[in-house]
Amino acid sequence: MTLVVVTVVIVVAIATYLTWLASRLDRLAVRVDDARTGLISQLALRVEVAGELARRCELTELGEAVERARAAQVGPAGGGPLDSDTETAENSLSRALRSPGVTATADRAPDALHAVDVAAARVALARQLHNDAVRDVRALRARRIVRVLRLSGRRPLPTYFEIDDALPMRGDTGGRNDHAGADGRDGDGRRASTTRDGPARDGIARDSGRRDGSTYDSDVSDGNMSKFTP
Amino acid sequence: MKIGLACPYTWDVPGGVQVHVRDLAEALVALGHEVSVITPVGDDSALPPYGVDAGHAVPVPYNGSVARLLMGPVSAARVRRWLREHDFDVLHVHEPTAPSVSLLACMLADGPIVATFHTSNPRSKILTAAHGALQPSMEKVRARIAVSEAARRTLVEHLGVDAILIPNGVSIPTFERAAPLPEPVSNGSTVVFLGRIDEPRKGLDVLLAALPALMERRADARLLVAGPGDGEAVLERVEPGLRDRVHLLGLVSDADKPRVFRSGEVYCAPNTGQESFGIVLLEAMAAGVPVVASDIDAFRRVLDDGQAGRLFPVGDATALAHTLADLLADPARRGRLAERGRAVVAAYDWTVIAKRIVGVYEMVAGDRPVSLAANSA
Repeated sequence: MTLVVVTVVIVVAIATYLTWLASRLDRLAVRVDDARTGLISQLALRVEVAGELARRCELTELGEAVERARAAQVGPAGGGPLDSDTETAENSLSRALRSPGVTATADRAPDALHAVDVAAARVALARQLHNDAVRDVRALRARRIVRVLRLSGRRPLPTYFEIDDALPMRGDTGGRNDHAGADGRDGDGRRASTTRDGPARDGIARDSGRRDGSTYDSDVSDGNMSKFTP
Repeated sequence: MKIGLACPYTWDVPGGVQVHVRDLAEALVALGHEVSVITPVGDDSALPPYGVDAGHAVPVPYNGSVARLLMGPVSAARVRRWLREHDFDVLHVHEPTAPSVSLLACMLADGPIVATFHTSNPRSKILTAAHGALQPSMEKVRARIAVSEAARRTLVEHLGVDAILIPNGVSIPTFERAAPLPEPVSNGSTVVFLGRIDEPRKGLDVLLAALPALMERRADARLLVAGPGDGEAVLERVEPGLRDRVHLLGLVSDADKPRVFRSGEVYCAPNTGQESFGIVLLEAMAAGVPVVASDIDAFRRVLDDGQAGRLFPVGDATALAHTLADLLADPARRGRLAERGRAVVAAYDWTVIAKRIVGVYEMVAGDRPVSLAANSA
């Protein structure tokens, strides 16, 4: 009798634990989905405002980068993966947005440039939130019990989205005397160091790279963007 | 947006987190958002209209000071009801690693959750030990905010995750417009200290030790000390002949705090360490008082490497005395420092900071509001 009771208790405990693990996995899947949707919409917004800037100021190079990025976004927007093609296209857009030609538009189209910089900051934030969610899922799914019992079902393992989204610095004498950022970042060095742009990075390397504390800033509100406008 | 804020520490006990939550709530309301704050509270009448009582908290030592914490079935039921009654677009928990309302809310809720981390502690055994137990709650958090570089580093080291840096805000108009206290009227050589007087980390002893050397150069120097603690014990540590130079105000109300800053010529922050962020420095700068602070990392950042306030070596009473004496003797220099201070603090105005936080809310909020977690209802 005692044996039966003990067995029942153990079985119930194990079942409860597994259900709880499965609910955590479900919740994380929702979080990754939402973060992915957010990231895709921020990338789309960046393409849109960058396209507007390219059109108004007749920047051919930026225009081409915008078209490449726009084309690469069609797949993810329709539910496809955020793959290395998208990463490459977004990288070249990031680089184009940092070019001197774009910075020079501050005189002609300050509002369009400002919109681009706000959108770029939002992309950086959305990407960080996305990768955070991916990291949490991957950590839980790496557990042996989750793998062996296939608790996450058929859901594909989400992947990190790694692009160079270092923010452009505009009309700024180095940031030392400018407190618009007000978040204690140590000058521009760290922004540049968040740049990760190169082929052949596997998931593990990315994960360890993420943990070394690369930082991200939150220049998402208008109030803070004065840094980028002279 | 409908925003739910969870504050872990007793609302009517003074503390940085509580002030942060209150100011954020008020800035959000001013921006047109709908806000509700759940918090432990000692006296219900202290709650603002947007406050919800989570019960009485128990004092326990945490991170080197006494924190009042709260975990239990009664408060869990209140948090659950609070979540159910509001369809928050975003739940914003503060200091969710402390065993209190924020952690409860994190455990019980599902949906868009933002967490702000205030503590900086390079070697928190509690945090390291609790890492595994906290993970299920922490993985619900969609965006993490750290109020300082030190708090961010603590997070990276203990939980292995990064955070967005958004500093504490200051309600600048409150400080700018405050009138000096009616009593005591400054004699033109008054140094202000504000903080718990029996908390060694706040460094009042360094300032007291600087007093004799300061008086050698400024015979009329006085200290105006505001903050809770045993005043008798503090005076005993001062030479009997100098005791009448130390004016103890005791605990001042939030309403009087801005007035304290404006009742002296210089504000002194002689902290000896473990400050996550120099909010009090920003408040002094908002009040237009020049700052002299110990050279710790957080203060150096806020003071723009000494451009917006004078720094002195941590714990060095002699250097402090000279720095204070130099400033007291030079009104023009004080004016310049105060002006730099005002420029620095402008970026920390709560309206600016709250907008940045709303930017994060917008990033995490989706179609689904915050709900009760399936396994907790």
